[in-house]
Amino acid sequence: MAVAVYPRNLAEALRILEIQSPLVLAGGTDLMVKRAGTYPDECPVMYIGNLPELRQISRQGEELRVGAACTFTELLASPLLPDYLRVPLAQIASPAIRNAATIGGNLCNASPAADALPMLYALDAHFILVSAAGECRMPVRDFFLGPGKTMLAAGQLLAEIRIPIREGWRCIYRKVGMRRANSLSKLSFYALSDCAGGRLQDIRIAFGAVAPTVVRSREAEMKILSGLPVEEIILMYNGLIKPIDDARSSSRYRREACIRLLKQYLQS
Amino acid sequence: MGEKISFVLNGANVSLETEPMRRLLDVLREDFGLTGSKEGCGEGECGACAVLVDGRLINSCLMPVLAVQGKRVVTIEGFRETARFHALSGSFDRAGAVQCGFCTPGMLLAAEALLTDNPDPTEEDIRGALSGNLCRCTGYTAIVEAIRNAAREGEGLWP
Amino acid sequence: MKPITEAANRLDFEDKITGAARYCADIRMEGMLFAKTLRATVARAWIRAIHIPPLPSGMAVIDWRDIPGKNAVPIVTDDQPFLAENCVNYVGEPILLAVGPDRAETASFIRQIVVEYEERKPILTLEEAMGRDGDFISGNQPWFASYGYDKGDLEGAMRRAARCVADTFTTGYQEQAYLEPQGMVASFEDGVITVRGSMQCPYYIVDALKNALGWETDRIRVIQLPTGGGFGGKEEYPSIPAVHAALAAIKTGKPVQLVFDRKEDILCTTKRHPSQITIKSYLDAEGNILARDIDVAADGGAYAGLSSVVLQRMIYSIGGVYRVENLRIHGRVYATNKAVSGAFRGFGGPQAFFAMETHMEHIARQTGMDSVQLRQRHFLRQEDSTSTGGHLRSPVPLHEMTDLALRLSDYYRKREQPNTDSGKLRGIGCSVFFHGCGFTGSGEQDLIRPRVRLRKDVDGIVHVLASSAEIGQGAMTTLSKIVARTLSIPLSQVRYEYPDTKVCPDSGPTVASRSVLVVGKLLLQAGLEMKKRWSEKAFETEARFTYPKGFSWDKENHQGDAYLEYSWGANVVEVELDPVTCDYKIKGVWAVYDAGTPIDKKIVAGQVEGGMAQGLGYGGMENLEYADGKPVQVSFTDYILPTSLDLPPVTFRLVDNESVLGPYGARGLGELTLVGAAPALAAAIENATGRPVNRLPLTPEYLLEVMNGG
Repeated sequence: MAVAVYPRNLAEALRILEIQSPLVLAGGTDLMVKRAGTYPDECPVMYIGNLPELRQISRQGEELRVGAACTFTELLASPLLPDYLRVPLAQIASPAIRNAATIGGNLCNASPAADALPMLYALDAHFILVSAAGECRMPVRDFFLGPGKTMLAAGQLLAEIRIPIREGWRCIYRKVGMRRANSLSKLSFYALSDCAGGRLQDIRIAFGAVAPTVVRSREAEMKILSGLPVEEIILMYNGLIKPIDDARSSSRYRREACIRLLKQYLQS
Repeated sequence: MGEKISFVLNGANVSLETEPMRRLLDVLREDFGLTGSKEGCGEGECGACAVLVDGRLINSCLMPVLAVQGKRVVTIEGFRETARFHALSGSFDRAGAVQCGFCTPGMLLAAEALLTDNPDPTEEDIRGALSGNLCRCTGYTAIVEAIRNAAREGEGLWP
Repeated sequence: MKPITEAANRLDFEDKITGAARYCADIRMEGMLFAKTLRATVARAWIRAIHIPPLPSGMAVIDWRDIPGKNAVPIVTDDQPFLAENCVNYVGEPILLAVGPDRAETASFIRQIVVEYEERKPILTLEEAMGRDGDFISGNQPWFASYGYDKGDLEGAMRRAARCVADTFTTGYQEQAYLEPQGMVASFEDGVITVRGSMQCPYYIVDALKNALGWETDRIRVIQLPTGGGFGGKEEYPSIPAVHAALAAIKTGKPVQLVFDRKEDILCTTKRHPSQITIKSYLDAEGNILARDIDVAADGGAYAGLSSVVLQRMIYSIGGVYRVENLRIHGRVYATNKAVSGAFRGFGGPQAFFAMETHMEHIARQTGMDSVQLRQRHFLRQEDSTSTGGHLRSPVPLHEMTDLALRLSDYYRKREQPNTDSGKLRGIGCSVFFHGCGFTGSGEQDLIRPRVRLRKDVDGIVHVLASSAEIGQGAMTTLSKIVARTLSIPLSQVRYEYPDTKVCPDSGPTVASRSVLVVGKLLLQAGLEMKKRWSEKAFETEARFTYPKGFSWDKENHQGDAYLEYSWGANVVEVELDPVTCDYKIKGVWAVYDAGTPIDKKIVAGQVEGGMAQGLGYGGMENLEYADGKPVQVSFTDYILPTSLDLPPVTFRLVDNESVLGPYGARGLGELTLVGAAPALAAAIENATGRPVNRLPLTPEYLLEVMNGG
């Protein structure tokens, strides 16, 4: 029989992580599907869903700090959450899943279709990774290597997500799912614009579920800001998008819908 | 080894020694004989296994039992002893909201979770709250109506 | 006394709302073992060897050699084995079972078994099957059944025609997706095998057990448990797990439970037949339809199952609600190496009406007519003859129904008003359709001769003894109401238990919108007899079906009254489509039905809303494809059902048109409510996009192709 381990605080969790190499579990909503029907052997299971350090949501200056074990429901209930984060998160899964699933779990699962990802890419969020040896800060784009693959090392936990907060950001988010609720994304489109003073200061564009990791290009965004014609911008993104055929959609549809959403956005 | 998992199940303290990664659904059904929670998909898509954990709607097929340590779990077997259940039951009956019955316990607990948070929901709120509970028989209309009526008639039950 | 239509309290309500109802997976018996099935992983192969690891104690393996009788599922053709012998014909076909006291261990044992296959070239699509000239799956041809019939003079009408409009439509699979997966529990005591489970047709299972075991009926007992939805998926399929569980219980002497998980259920159970339908309509210069030449092809999967009967309903429905005097209708259902296609609410009707109604839209589009007026000009009327030359005895209120549906939905204003300012495309469309109630032709008489009994006890309680299964549709309540009304006693004095073949006679399967029309009528007859003798203390009455006078059916030539009764419907659907992603939202649904007098208006409303939801799912989001002989969408994550946010409420009306045959004027309803949804959705999307569609489901992926002119 496997052992359940309940660390009381983060430091204890990190010690256990180093010594016992347990299976780490927060909400379990992804892990339980993956492990369906199979029990772990003797590997201990460490439950981090209750760790107080991982359950904080706070604002420090221009940065929102979100503990990795916060559930989506808790995030959505926080008054600190700006709309450009609330809009994508509100469309994730269903109420029961949002009650259990944690943002950290969603990120560490590293599904190309994870709905929290495009906004974090667009916002240049950072992750705080901790281990018994200390902590490091890593930009979101460096964390994800491909489907199910991240930079998280043995002995390390994703502790916190740090998201820049700026007044004046406005987001456009389109999740194209298979139905109106409780659906995985066929593709998603997230765009942020800063129009302070009535003119476009900055723009960020990210696509989810159409490549092994989120598609975002600062180069292309700079070109948009510099006024490059829409057709040329589209060509740039067309080269970056690498969708697949799967049970939920076709690569052809994913590509074309992305381009059409981009075009609509750029022309508006 | 040998550490028990303890929680409050339908108001009673319980503890058991078991594989920590077992699904809460299996523990409820097999160890406690609480078969009102159903398995419709085993992937958190259908909500037939939904229970309340610390008052929140949870798919028990996706929750390993270790995660309920120290928490309050309510299943249909516990909820059916409450006045709120009777209000919902009456409105489900009048609206014709039960057909095959397989989704019904999960639907009731979804309704309870919603009304606890929001005693005066709009139709859109209700539809949103049920969006993780599939029903293949009713097309949802009667269920939505039943919950709206329960909210309206069950004055004071969901303060 | 209140009208019968007034809503009653459902008899199965209390049990279900409290979670107390025990479905198959909830059953626990002393010493019970759990069964798990080993299934084929290739589409077509000879089995060369099966390597089974040493059996842990307490476990057993059951294969085809454990079948003492015939290894054939008795349906129409005995071509499907209960357990594969030397070959497999679809991915998911059962090969053997393991049973043991621990579910997880049994499943893990199954995973250790290795099957050596010698693969054969499979037939994976309808097109492949149609083009095949040898190495067939079944017999000496690529199809299971091939039917055709004519009416009038097609050739002559073609010569007179001014133009021809032709279309080819394809439709995909649909999974019944009852929320409770298939499940059976069998126990063997005192030489009697008892099988309990989730089912629509207890006596189909009795027949299956008789075939497999070679036993007489007195050693076989089948009891329905509360059943979490069926929709046709628990019509013929449960015979297979029922026999499996029974074989295991007989071999081990212990109760055996066999419950599928969702993936297994989607992988191996029956689904709606995919189809390809070509319709050529010949018109005169004024736009009157003179003749039609129709060809139907359906994908039956690996074994014949009910495919021939589904095909019959397809070809008897494909004429639609239209009076066209010259017809040639031909249909074939082909064999492919995929899961068996089978019964599903509508039973061939949804494919046929999608094709015909969409074709009517296309004729109107190509000839510049209004599609509703085109329909109205050709509507069937009372006293007309159907496509098979049957006689429409009752009023056919299609004009009234269509007008009402159009008025309720404000159809013409919306139809002509072009796109909204929001950049979204709005569209509205309608469909008009029927459902033939009961078994095809004289099947009630020839195949089942249903019976019912009523038993009055000394305490005055009346027990309904019928094999109609409560599967959520309200059969228990509806049929009990008929009895209570006939006897002029309160509903609380009537008992309707889940059918047990030990006490209930065979009143036929719970299918084909026949429960109220046929079984309800028999209960009324048995009730009238009981009423006459009411002063007696304890007694039984029985009623048996007799084919009504004046009806006739020639099965060989497909001539005569294809159905005993017809229910009619008109649907309108409105959509809002995003031209950027081709994703759309259903904005409104309006429906008018003629199902005779409703026996219970609340239960009828439930059938309307639920059937519409399932029909819109079929038309829109429910996509199930095969690749390399395997279903691609095998979970509820990928095979998508509508949620509460995907469907608006249905605005519906029932027209007053009492049935002469049915009890208290009622006729069938359950399937009718599904049939018209997809074609109305398709018409709405055509109206929104301005482009014709010819395929179901109408996914955004497909609509993007349509919008691109593909």
